[in-house]
Amino acid sequence: MLDFDGATKRFGALTALDSCSFAVRPGRLTGFVGPNGAGKTTAMRTVFGLVDLDSGTVRWRGAAIGQEQRARFGYMPEERGLYPRMRVRNQLVYLGELCGLTDTQARRNVDLWLDRLDLASRAGDRLDALSHGNQQRVQLIAALVNDPELLVLDEPFSGLDPLAIASMSDLLAGVAAAGVTVLFSSHQLDLVEDICEDVVIINDGRIVRAGDLAELRAAVPQRFVSLRFRGTPPDLSGLPSIELIDKSDETARLRVGQDVDLAAVITTARRSTDLVSFAYEPPTLSELFRQAVAG
Amino acid sequence: MNGMRQVRLVAAREIRERGRSRAFLISFVLMLVAVVGAVTLPVLLDTGAGTKEVGLTGSVPAELAAAMQAQGEGVGTTIRIHHFDTVAAGEEAVRDAAVDVLVVNGRKLEWQQRADEQLKAVVTGAIQSVAVRERAAAAGMSPDELAAMAAPMPVDNVELGQVAGRSPDDETAAFVMTLVLFGAITTYGAMVLSGVVEEKSSRTVEVLLARMPARNLLAGKIAGIGLLGLAQVTAAALAALGAGTVVDGVDIPAIRGSVIAWAVVWFVLGYALYATVFGVLGSLASRTEDASSVTGPVTVVLVLGFMVSFAAIGSADTTWAQLVSWFPLTAPLAMPNRIAMGAATWWDPAVAVVLTLAVIAALVVLGGRIYTRAILHTGAMLSLGEAWRGTRVPAPSVGDTPEGRPATGATAVEASAPETTTTNEPLTRLVLIGLAVLLGGAVFALAQDFVIGVAAGAAFYALARGVVKAREHADR
Repeated sequence: MLDFDGATKRFGALTALDSCSFAVRPGRLTGFVGPNGAGKTTAMRTVFGLVDLDSGTVRWRGAAIGQEQRARFGYMPEERGLYPRMRVRNQLVYLGELCGLTDTQARRNVDLWLDRLDLASRAGDRLDALSHGNQQRVQLIAALVNDPELLVLDEPFSGLDPLAIASMSDLLAGVAAAGVTVLFSSHQLDLVEDICEDVVIINDGRIVRAGDLAELRAAVPQRFVSLRFRGTPPDLSGLPSIELIDKSDETARLRVGQDVDLAAVITTARRSTDLVSFAYEPPTLSELFRQAVAG
Repeated sequence: MNGMRQVRLVAAREIRERGRSRAFLISFVLMLVAVVGAVTLPVLLDTGAGTKEVGLTGSVPAELAAAMQAQGEGVGTTIRIHHFDTVAAGEEAVRDAAVDVLVVNGRKLEWQQRADEQLKAVVTGAIQSVAVRERAAAAGMSPDELAAMAAPMPVDNVELGQVAGRSPDDETAAFVMTLVLFGAITTYGAMVLSGVVEEKSSRTVEVLLARMPARNLLAGKIAGIGLLGLAQVTAAALAALGAGTVVDGVDIPAIRGSVIAWAVVWFVLGYALYATVFGVLGSLASRTEDASSVTGPVTVVLVLGFMVSFAAIGSADTTWAQLVSWFPLTAPLAMPNRIAMGAATWWDPAVAVVLTLAVIAALVVLGGRIYTRAILHTGAMLSLGEAWRGTRVPAPSVGDTPEGRPATGATAVEASAPETTTTNEPLTRLVLIGLAVLLGGAVFALAQDFVIGVAAGAAFYALARGVVKAREHADR
């Protein structure tokens, strides 16, 4: 369990973190979302002592974080970077040893990961001889080489193609399922919604929502109705407490009040169009996010 | 995690990765070739240095040849005698440089151009002594009586300006040591600088600092490059010694063991001091292009210190030389040459060591703070004050840009691509300065003329810079 407790950091006049408190739980994927400059990177850096807090603490399993703890953490910074001219395997072994692994352990772990990510054949190449995608994978191994108890990734999905996104998602889910505490930031809210159990939403240095994603969504009073149809759009203008917020050629999304009569919505819709699917649901993460950030 | 192990790991990586880089190996080989060449070439090019060809013609006293050879032996010159039947044949040989001088009738010396003063003294001395012996014999004096009469009167030479026990060898030792120390501190200090900037510009540093405190990274880097440097300089020194022994032509100054030990101590201290400064200043620059502007003032101080230390060799006993050898920024260059000159008392180096260590400790503490705060800052260059206060937002350029960002692999490559050509910019410059100073010093030593030495160094530097720049230009 990683705990932020009143974490505050100022850079001159700018308050990057303003009394941030939230917990990241083991065995679950936690998505860290927020607009640009909200403080995600700063918060993540504090875990690794890269930023000194002005007040508040960050604790790991109840204890203050020191070098001893960090040796069992894994970190992928947003600004990716490794020695461009160093050979892949040597570089990863070196990074493993810096975490306190013995030479043998580090070599074993590196070979295991290189194998798993299909990089075994490139182990002896210089990093800058690899494609962007492969460099990304090496960077990921750098964060995993010490079998971390806590994995922190800053924008792990940015710059990935769809296939790479899928394999990264699977990998993170697998790591979390193995009991590792995983925190990652992302701008791809749909993706976060798909793969994360927990989310933390930060805005202007303040934590605005944090916790189980399903619970957070359910806790919001608004409900939404999503329709898919064929032919002319349904005419629902006569119904009370319904607001059309989005529509396309074959879908419509409505914000509905708690007193809405769902049966009436279905009946009315079927009268004017060929209804394909109907869903009554809490807000998506995007809607939750927009709402949280706006107010 | 054990801090010492991290420092060791970082140092080992520096040694391993640098030690097998092609650039390093090539420069090392060139260095060895240059050192061996500098030691052996003067001897090899000057094969006839110890032998002079003397031609004799006309009526020559019987003992003259033997007398010349005896005189020559006294000054370490082997005299080879050639007899010519005619003056014309002898003069022909002089013009062809087959003989150095032609002695005509035992009374006239004929040279090709300017007279060789030493040979002139040898030949003239032999002619005189033969003449004296002939006259003594004519006057009825036996050779023994003549010898007793001509027995030299012992005369003591006292050089009031010189300190007792100091030999020209000491001065040579001091001279060589100052050059080597300056070259080594400059070269390996520059390596630390480029290493720090490279880690920062390739963004490797954030991955590293998530695993260890900045002080371990900096300490390991400085230690690794320092050990590499020590090994390289030692190898070069051994090569010079070996080459000197083989050709047996150059007097390896009889340097006392304690002087060499002190030189090593001062290399370690001087390098630690300047490498720390370079490392900390390097952390302020985000790009390699900025690095040289950050370190410019320090380089100037280092070069000035070198010049002052150099000047202090000649007046090692003065108060100002003592102060220069105490001042931490110049002590690493000035103190060892005062020790070599035998001008330092036992406590003199102790004072300088303590002062220098104090400054290094202060630099490590203050610099460590600046380094830690500046190293993660990207974008515009930080000033020292900003880095100290840590007020700037770190990495404003990061700015959490969303999906629109280029592939992150691309940023790593972008960061590394220009590096291959530009990382070496400050390094190249420092190396060139070092080489220019070495060359200038060597010319100065050979020509005994300071102005010519400076001109040679400056000319080399200007030329080499031009060549390097033109090549970089061509590469783009």
